[in-house]
Amino acid sequence: MPVSLRKLIRLLLGLAIAAVVWEGAVLLFGIRPYYLPRLSTILLAMAATPRAYVDGFLRTLAETLIGFASGGAFGVLMGVAFFRLRALREMVFPIFVVSQTIPVIAFGALVVLWFGNTLLAKAIIAFYLTFFPVTVNTLLGLETVDPKQVDLMRSFGASNRQLLLRLQLPTALPQIFVALRLAASLSLVGAIVGEWFGDTTGLGVLLLQAMFTENVVAIWAALLAAALLGTGFYAVVAAVERRLVFWSAEQ
Amino acid sequence: MQAARLPNPGPTTEAPQARPEPLLYLGALNKTFGPVAALSGLQASVGPGEFVTVVGPSGCGKSTLFNIVAGLEEPDAGGILRFEGKSCHAADLLGRVSFMPQRDLLFPWRNVVDNAILALEVEGMPRDQARAKALKMLPEFGLAGFEKQYPNQLSGGMRQRVALMRTFLFERDLMLLDEPFGALDALTRAMMQRWLLDVWQKYRRTILFITHDVDEAIFLGDRVLVMTARPGSVKLEQVVDLPRPRRPEIVTSPEFVRLKRTLLDAIEEESMKSFQSSIAQEKPQ
Repeated sequence: MPVSLRKLIRLLLGLAIAAVVWEGAVLLFGIRPYYLPRLSTILLAMAATPRAYVDGFLRTLAETLIGFASGGAFGVLMGVAFFRLRALREMVFPIFVVSQTIPVIAFGALVVLWFGNTLLAKAIIAFYLTFFPVTVNTLLGLETVDPKQVDLMRSFGASNRQLLLRLQLPTALPQIFVALRLAASLSLVGAIVGEWFGDTTGLGVLLLQAMFTENVVAIWAALLAAALLGTGFYAVVAAVERRLVFWSAEQ
Repeated sequence: MQAARLPNPGPTTEAPQARPEPLLYLGALNKTFGPVAALSGLQASVGPGEFVTVVGPSGCGKSTLFNIVAGLEEPDAGGILRFEGKSCHAADLLGRVSFMPQRDLLFPWRNVVDNAILALEVEGMPRDQARAKALKMLPEFGLAGFEKQYPNQLSGGMRQRVALMRTFLFERDLMLLDEPFGALDALTRAMMQRWLLDVWQKYRRTILFITHDVDEAIFLGDRVLVMTARPGSVKLEQVVDLPRPRRPEIVTSPEFVRLKRTLLDAIEEESMKSFQSSIAQEKPQ
């Protein structure tokens, strides 16, 4: 596709310019490496010990994905349940809100107490940050369904299940994806924060170790790796959205 | 369809001609929403294969009538509702009447064919089979070659035809059309009316058709029901004894004009009533 190719070239060009500006600014203004190291120094440092970064990347990716998937699925499920059962919504929704006012750090400490330094513990923290926005937006999306369309489906003799699968969930899909894009970023935050409570691999671990040893280059390296993971994951979610919710962008 | 017509119907026939078994019979129907009476003592019947149109002043309860016949709303207790000769609740009509609301209500995530087969899918027909059936009907609905298009790529007239096709594919004895052409421009509307008559004559469905437009009501219908101002009931039942197939020129024929005058007089009277009652409601404060 020539259009998408041109877009890709422009994106790469933008990144290259940013890299040159970074590198040039450090050299030109004589910025001390303690504040901002050269990009090339950081990349070389990563290339020197690629194993740690690849392992860290994959580990954090796994935590993020598990947290995102479970949080997304649970969020949609709860959104549908709250939509269907008003009583459940009035009982449980306030508890959800309260749960979200607990700072993630405090919650993380508890989860690590319960589950130890396992991958599961990190995924649970990622889950904790993701399920709520997905629940809220699913509910919001389901409530935008046109009652006339519901009448139409009922006049065809549609069951509640058919109504949900053929009308209500598709209608809510654009809203759900707004939340999923947000959840993509939040689940990474959850995974990294979770690793701070103790672990041996992961981007959060690399970041923490670099902070303790005041290794500025390593801090920047971990940061770049996290940025790559976050951006990549967000881009994938956005691409899936464009494919599945094609109608909403066109209208 | 009009073979059963008596040779000498007057301009107005107050009592419906006795038919052996109307497909749909409504008797003494009332419907109130809180303090508002939408329908009061409505009586009507629709024979098999008949094309009945309903006109009336705005807010006369036409939509309530349609929602009842579509099975979406129950009339107040005491009314008579019979379908295919059996007395029933409105809810029993869900899935038994094919219903087309004013707006096309197409699903933007489904293309033309998949929108058209929505009702078939709900009935449980396998998708491939339903699609094959719909594809065969596309040319008749002027949609050949558009099967893969999405609603936002279609004109208003085409969207309406997709909605009509969806209604036709849901093969039920009674079709309910609620101002299906109301949002179309005059030219498109005239074409759609002629086209609907062709399709109706081919498929021999029974149609109950709501409209604001008296010309449309006469042009399409075997019978026109004029509704009273709210609370709605049938004020006048007018047999349209124009020959079929009806040509577009028929709207200027003396018979057509005479029918139109009769109907307009009745509607005018009811419109005045509903206008005056709305003023009377506003005054005492």
